[in-house]
Amino acid sequence: MREDMGLIVKTTARAIIPLIGIFGAYIVVHGHLTPGGGFQGGATIAGAGILFLVAFGLDEMKKHYNKSLYSVLEGVGGLAFLGAAMLGMGVAFFYNTLWHNGPFFNGEPGTLLSAGFLPIMNLAVGLKVFTGLVSALTAIALYRRWKS
Amino acid sequence: MNGEAILPYLIIIPLFGAFSMPIVNLLGRKAREAWAVLISGATLAVGSAIFYYIWDTKKILVYTLGARSPLGQGVGFPIRIVWEVDLFGAIMVLMVTLVSFLAVLYSLGYMKHDTGLDKYYTLIIILELGMLGIAITGDLFNFYVFLEIMSIASYALVAFRNDTWEGIEAGIKYMFVGSIASAFVLLGIALLYGQYGTLTMSYLALKLAQSPSVTAKVALALFIAGLLFKSGASPVHMWLADAHPAAPSSISAMLSGLVIKIGGIYALTRILFSIYGASVSVKTVGWVVIIFACITLIVGNAMAVIQNDMKRLLAYSSVGQIGYILLGLGIGLAAYGSQTGEIAMAGAIYHTFNHALMKALLFLIAGVVIHQLGTRDLNELSGLAKAMPKTTFAFLIGAAAIIGMPPLNGFASKWLIYESSAIFNPILGAIAIIGTAFCTAAYVKVLYTFFGRPSEKVMKAKDPEGTMLWPIIILVVAIIVMGLFPWQISDRVMIPAVKALENQLAYVSAVLGGA
Repeated sequence: MREDMGLIVKTTARAIIPLIGIFGAYIVVHGHLTPGGGFQGGATIAGAGILFLVAFGLDEMKKHYNKSLYSVLEGVGGLAFLGAAMLGMGVAFFYNTLWHNGPFFNGEPGTLLSAGFLPIMNLAVGLKVFTGLVSALTAIALYRRWKS
Repeated sequence: MNGEAILPYLIIIPLFGAFSMPIVNLLGRKAREAWAVLISGATLAVGSAIFYYIWDTKKILVYTLGARSPLGQGVGFPIRIVWEVDLFGAIMVLMVTLVSFLAVLYSLGYMKHDTGLDKYYTLIIILELGMLGIAITGDLFNFYVFLEIMSIASYALVAFRNDTWEGIEAGIKYMFVGSIASAFVLLGIALLYGQYGTLTMSYLALKLAQSPSVTAKVALALFIAGLLFKSGASPVHMWLADAHPAAPSSISAMLSGLVIKIGGIYALTRILFSIYGASVSVKTVGWVVIIFACITLIVGNAMAVIQNDMKRLLAYSSVGQIGYILLGLGIGLAAYGSQTGEIAMAGAIYHTFNHALMKALLFLIAGVVIHQLGTRDLNELSGLAKAMPKTTFAFLIGAAAIIGMPPLNGFASKWLIYESSAIFNPILGAIAIIGTAFCTAAYVKVLYTFFGRPSEKVMKAKDPEGTMLWPIIILVVAIIVMGLFPWQISDRVMIPAVKALENQLAYVSAVLGGA
């Protein structure tokens, strides 16, 4: 049985996957300004990965998917979130010291470089959600076979 | 030493350990194991420091996330997540960090032949993190999040050996039941938030006392229902009897010693005493808990007697012991403010801690037996005392402690519960004694098997290696040493913990700053 889909689907997927990725990245980066954020953007980008898996099949996915890279990236996402939360440990856990004292991410509210550690946390959560969902779906797709 | 400064590290260290585990895993098996031991050891150090600080100063530790004060600017109510640890919470923190550390240490030898251990150690640290979060939080939604962290980690760990049919079966059962229970709790929180507009436990307690409503009572019913599920009380204990035998033994020790107490008993106690203490009829709620406690006592202990599977016997015995703890809690509520209630509650807290030690010990021993002999059928384990003398001795200590033999720690805690229940209502005392009779029968049965004539299968067995033996030795020593000073511990730790728990005003004003 062929694992990949037909020519039309594959060509359309080639065109759409970058668009989904960019849109997801937009949602993550603008998490503190517009609806959405780390989880929603990360899940959107993971949608691009799943489209790749479905359209091009498992064999193609195996060539591009590296299990330890994805689990390390998921860990890095978590560590970045924790690190951002610990920046203001002098006052309290989760104290937004970047917003109160700078040196960056303390611009005018409504601009991209504002809101203190929130953009960092959104990126971290987005990375974690994307790698986690893609890993989970790939692991399920790889699950041995239909019979035992 | 400053308690406020180190409290967040109780969460930060396990989080850091769990997130960095995939990276450390690249360095190989040894690095991963050393990392898991290091992280849980550091958590144990922080946990004991916090316990000592709170016990020493008798303060209620309040920590605000995100700012120095929990109160919003220009308003008199808390707007931030607070962590609030009184002595009861600190006892739970000590218990969780201690047993988790021993379980991690034990896993080094016990889980050696399994695969996917990077995920195992991540999950076990996440499980510890969830339980610590429940013990320290002072925010209702934060509590729910930590409850789910704990629950989901334990679903995954119960089904960890996914090549065995029973692991999957127990995992699915536990997951379905546990998710419904969590949904009850979430629904209760949603109702309270809709009615009162706050999620901070102490401020909610104030609001509840000012304007009681039917919604609050519905929410309370949902909390009690959901948390009794989590604690494995009868008649909703069926998941526990499957989940505990199917999980790896280090996990059974944590599930039975910690998860059902933190996610069930501690959370229930905190909600009933610190949130609802002043706004509902504690007598009615107390009797509701007592009824469930009596059913749990009899059913759990009686079912333990007829088991042939060693771990299933221990699991039913856990249900029975949860019955004692619930009985203490129920009497503590029904006789709120009197000395009987205080003694009952002290017995419940003391028994929670003791049972964590003894049941962790017994499950670790069951794991040793399975590891060495490959079976947990009691019919095949005859004469284990000859082949594995140290293990059998440790089991003897654990069984004697759980029955409540005088020189061991189980005696004092059970005595407090018997005494208070007999004073409160002699029928309850009689039920408690009947439960213990069943419990004794179950453990004597196991010991009788162990001291019998050695069977073919048992002859080749040996005592386990060091990493599996040391946690057992530490627990035996802890049980014996705690058994030598029962009334000192009761008077200096447990009674003050109950006093702190019953003093709802102090719990509320610690957050609202006396303002």
